[in-house]
Amino acid sequence: VAALALLGAVVADSTVGGDRLVAAVASIGVIGLSVTALALVGRWATLLPWGFVGVGGSYAVFLSLRPGGVDARAPAVAAAFFVAAELSFWSIERRSWRSEREVTLRRLALIASAGIGTAIVGGLLLLLTSGRRIGIGQEAAGVAAAVLTLAVVAFLVRRSRDSASA
Amino acid sequence: MTRSALPKLGVYAGLAALSLLAALVLRLPELVLLGAPFALVAAISALQVHASRIDVEVELDRERALEGELLDVCIRFGPGDGAERVDVLLELPPGLEVEEGTNPGTLRLVEGEERLLPLRLRCTRWGAFRVGLIHLRTDDHFGLFRHEAVVDRRQPVKVYPTEEAVRTLLRPGETQVFSGNHVARQKGAGIEFADIRQFVAGDRVRHVNWRATARRGELWVNEQHAERNADVVIFLDVFAEARHGGRSTLDPALRAAASLAARYLRQRDQIGFVSFGGMLNWLLPATGQRQLYRIVDAMLDTQIILSYAWRDLVVVPRRTLPPQALVLALTPLLDDRAASALLDLRARGFDLVVIEISPLAYVVPKPGEVEDIAYRLWRLRRDAVRGRFERAGVPVAVWTDDSSLAVAMEEVGAFRRQARTARV
Repeated sequence: VAALALLGAVVADSTVGGDRLVAAVASIGVIGLSVTALALVGRWATLLPWGFVGVGGSYAVFLSLRPGGVDARAPAVAAAFFVAAELSFWSIERRSWRSEREVTLRRLALIASAGIGTAIVGGLLLLLTSGRRIGIGQEAAGVAAAVLTLAVVAFLVRRSRDSASA
Repeated sequence: MTRSALPKLGVYAGLAALSLLAALVLRLPELVLLGAPFALVAAISALQVHASRIDVEVELDRERALEGELLDVCIRFGPGDGAERVDVLLELPPGLEVEEGTNPGTLRLVEGEERLLPLRLRCTRWGAFRVGLIHLRTDDHFGLFRHEAVVDRRQPVKVYPTEEAVRTLLRPGETQVFSGNHVARQKGAGIEFADIRQFVAGDRVRHVNWRATARRGELWVNEQHAERNADVVIFLDVFAEARHGGRSTLDPALRAAASLAARYLRQRDQIGFVSFGGMLNWLLPATGQRQLYRIVDAMLDTQIILSYAWRDLVVVPRRTLPPQALVLALTPLLDDRAASALLDLRARGFDLVVIEISPLAYVVPKPGEVEDIAYRLWRLRRDAVRGRFERAGVPVAVWTDDSSLAVAMEEVGAFRRQARTARV
């Protein structure tokens, strides 16, 4: 429920904040929310990412239609999005038994701190980058960094996925 | 430990890739922020993934318990690497259930600290079990990688059947040569008065019956009945059982067998045990507490094994069924092979008693005319089998779900008393 509420807040923010193609933004967001809700109710882990894609898509559409500079609420949206994803995956875990209170509390604290960390770091990054003029070289470096990030993540994931016995 | 990546890892990597690509294509830096936490979490988890060293031991408070009793089990985690979330499942056999504690459970192990997970189990059914197969599953902080292991720390637990109340035991027709609690027909050293006879040299003075001596003018002495033991063989029919839910006719049969063995052994009789069915198991008659444990242990291994092979008494060693033994048969009378073997025993002159464990409580007749006729025919057939025993002079007591073993034993005792009177 908390995950849906957070994603709903993201969709509401995109819908209320925009002034062009509001219906399209809302529709994409609502579809994403519905898919997420369906995945949570049915405990379908494969369906869950499509819900996030829908909600993220509505935010992307909202951003692309939005005039002006960088969205100042982007760090909060990113934090909400990440926390919602964590809570969603937690709720569809196939555990029919209760965890220890300490385990639950520590996990909640971890998710909350990850969300707060995302918001703070995102805010700092936006603050650092917002006032600068971006040249072609820096843009190329950004693209290269993004590609490199993806490559590193893919490499680490691929290496770690290979089951091993210890 | 076996490592596996959870689907969440793929989703996070995918979301990170999609948002970064979208950020590049749409030239929206906000989308980088959206995908960055997913990429960061996936990368950190992938870098830090390692299998925690977890030492597990299982401690049982005792190795033997009675049906219905509680058994304390403690899963002890030694001081190891520690883990944020550990799912622990103690695999339990069908006869044991968790009464207190959480199984499965999720807990946190702190590095270098010992941790105990106490469980209280209820022994719901007799049997020989092995407890201690533990399934462990650890997840990393964000639940992207999982390590699984099965730790075998199994220890034997024997759950003995509870005793049935028995007020009086059946007196065997014949006694044996060793001293016991049964008043024998033979005369000898004992307490029970048997007869008087003339004094002969060597008779002890304290056996002189002074009243008879005074009346007859010569020495007369008392004679007593000897007190001897008896051979009792418990014959368990394990060809077939009637089962409904978690209960079966084998359960009361085993409880009765254990109770009778304990009671007869207490009065110094020699007890033998024959489990006759698809699986054959026997114990030669013996006396003492060790024999009781042997019998109960043999019973715990008893199970119904479906077999179509014809079996008769040839397969049972001769010494297992000593002559003049009282044979107490516990049978649901569901299989003709058991009935034939018992009638064969009677034909050989054994003192046979049949306690029928009624399967009717375990059989639910199906609705329908044909089914009703089939059910009634089956019951008639059972009556016919019972009649065969009664014609052979074998008492058959029906032990139903709503009565006790004591009632069945009384019924058999009454039959045997009347039968003796009739012979006289």
